[in-house]
Amino acid sequence: MSMIDVRDLRKVYGGRKVVDGVSFSVEEGEIFGILGPNGAGKTTTVECIGGLRTRDGGSISVAGMDPALEGTAFREALGIQLQESRLPDKQTVEEALTLYSSFYSRPRDWRELLERLGLVEQRRTYFGKLSGGQKQRLSVALALIGNPRVAILDELTTGLDPAARREVWKLLEDLKGTGVTLLLVSHFMEEAERLCDRVVVIDRGRVIAADTPEGLAAGVSADQRMSFAPSAPVAAGVLEALPDVHTVSTGADRIVVTGTDNVASAVIIALHERGIAATRLRVDQPSLDDAFVALTGEDHGSAQHSGTDRKGASA
Amino acid sequence: MTATTAMLKAEGKLLARNPGVMIWTAILPVAASIVLAAIPGVREPSEAMGGLSFFQVYQPILVLFAITLLALQALPDVLTRYREMGVLKRLRTTPVSPALLLFAQLVLVLAVSVGCMLLMVVVPALVGATWPKNLAGFAISYLLAAWALLGVGMVIASLFRNAKVAAGFGSMLFFVMQFFAGLWIQRPVMPDWMRNISDFTPSGAAAQALTDTSAGHWPRLLHVVVLIVWGVAATTFAVRRFSWE
Repeated sequence: MSMIDVRDLRKVYGGRKVVDGVSFSVEEGEIFGILGPNGAGKTTTVECIGGLRTRDGGSISVAGMDPALEGTAFREALGIQLQESRLPDKQTVEEALTLYSSFYSRPRDWRELLERLGLVEQRRTYFGKLSGGQKQRLSVALALIGNPRVAILDELTTGLDPAARREVWKLLEDLKGTGVTLLLVSHFMEEAERLCDRVVVIDRGRVIAADTPEGLAAGVSADQRMSFAPSAPVAAGVLEALPDVHTVSTGADRIVVTGTDNVASAVIIALHERGIAATRLRVDQPSLDDAFVALTGEDHGSAQHSGTDRKGASA
Repeated sequence: MTATTAMLKAEGKLLARNPGVMIWTAILPVAASIVLAAIPGVREPSEAMGGLSFFQVYQPILVLFAITLLALQALPDVLTRYREMGVLKRLRTTPVSPALLLFAQLVLVLAVSVGCMLLMVVVPALVGATWPKNLAGFAISYLLAAWALLGVGMVIASLFRNAKVAAGFGSMLFFVMQFFAGLWIQRPVMPDWMRNISDFTPSGAAAQALTDTSAGHWPRLLHVVVLIVWGVAATTFAVRRFSWE
């Protein structure tokens, strides 16, 4: 049986369907991603799964239990890291871990967690004095302290600088294979691509795609895109004639070609036969970013995407 | 370590590291009662006060002043700020009950206010004022008063999500409570109808019970019952109403 099973989940706020028939299931030990633009219903979905909100319809089972009943056994089995949940500024890392481990019947050894999270040197540091990355790692530690079978991590790396983000990712990669099932909420595609075994994309309260990150990326855009600076001028029509090539556009010093999976090798061989080298070659795989933008549309989800993220939108 | 002891320990440490609120809350009434006790004339019985000395009338009021401030301001302040910070929400994801945090805060604030009360009774006695003549009765009255007032403080914490609103409401209620305790018009000189209302408020009943026991009597049944009813009603309401969300 699946570790998490969500069937036709519904939640309405003031007549607006925030979650409108979401279904998915997560196997034991998986890292499962819930992706979607801001306001898509991701957090509401995981809060229903975490028993923090009552659902209006559908069924949820977490480790065989219904979150709506919210018993002690359920709280023991599930760890949750919530968005924007702080600790008192003057509580030390060690005190927080000791306190929270006292709540559970079979807690994890917090010293081992400290080590794994790289917080050993901060054990006597006040929460208020920790860096953003350290706070997030402590927050992950508190979600895992009860030795849960399932952990929900909501927008874990939002607001972290790239180095801190990588710290947290490394930690989650290390957790892979320890048997804990992770449900990761994110609007950050690189995160999902790197960590998740499978993902669902939620938009306007519905699941609009479900696959592995690679499958999702591959499914959206069949075209690969390559660009290079030719060492000598390429005669018109040479590249267009290749069966793998779909479009060719020639710029001032670079040529951009799109086409099938084989487009890169076909173009390089054709150029090679004419004694031309493709320098400063760049081949772009369709990424999860492209898939995400294509799935959810241009008009939203953009606020959190940098310029480079958006480049794929037109491809 | 059980969850209860761990929570008490953790909250105790936090209280010790943020002593400001408690110290500022306690310093005025404690200082006032010590200064009053040091003035000889204040210790003389007065006809206007129904044969009691000014100090005897004011000591219970000041003792109540301290605990009312702690109960209506310090206690809700900690809890509503925890709510705003998401500490409560995080606790909700764990197997412990919300009542555990309420209990820990209750114990700690009670400990601080008992400390204040001891200062306000022992130090004046050492400088020449009278000890409460019925010590056991005084202690019982004090604990009943603490229960009722801390209960009201917990109700404030469970009703308001915003720390500033809770603080404002707490201040307003503080003045109402102090009025009925007799801070401005002492209970012996209140008109009958006002004293009758005061009898049914936690602070009025507490002030009279402390005054009676201080003079060597036992508290009147009415006041004991009023304090118990407030204590039971407020704590029950707060525990039911206080949720993590």
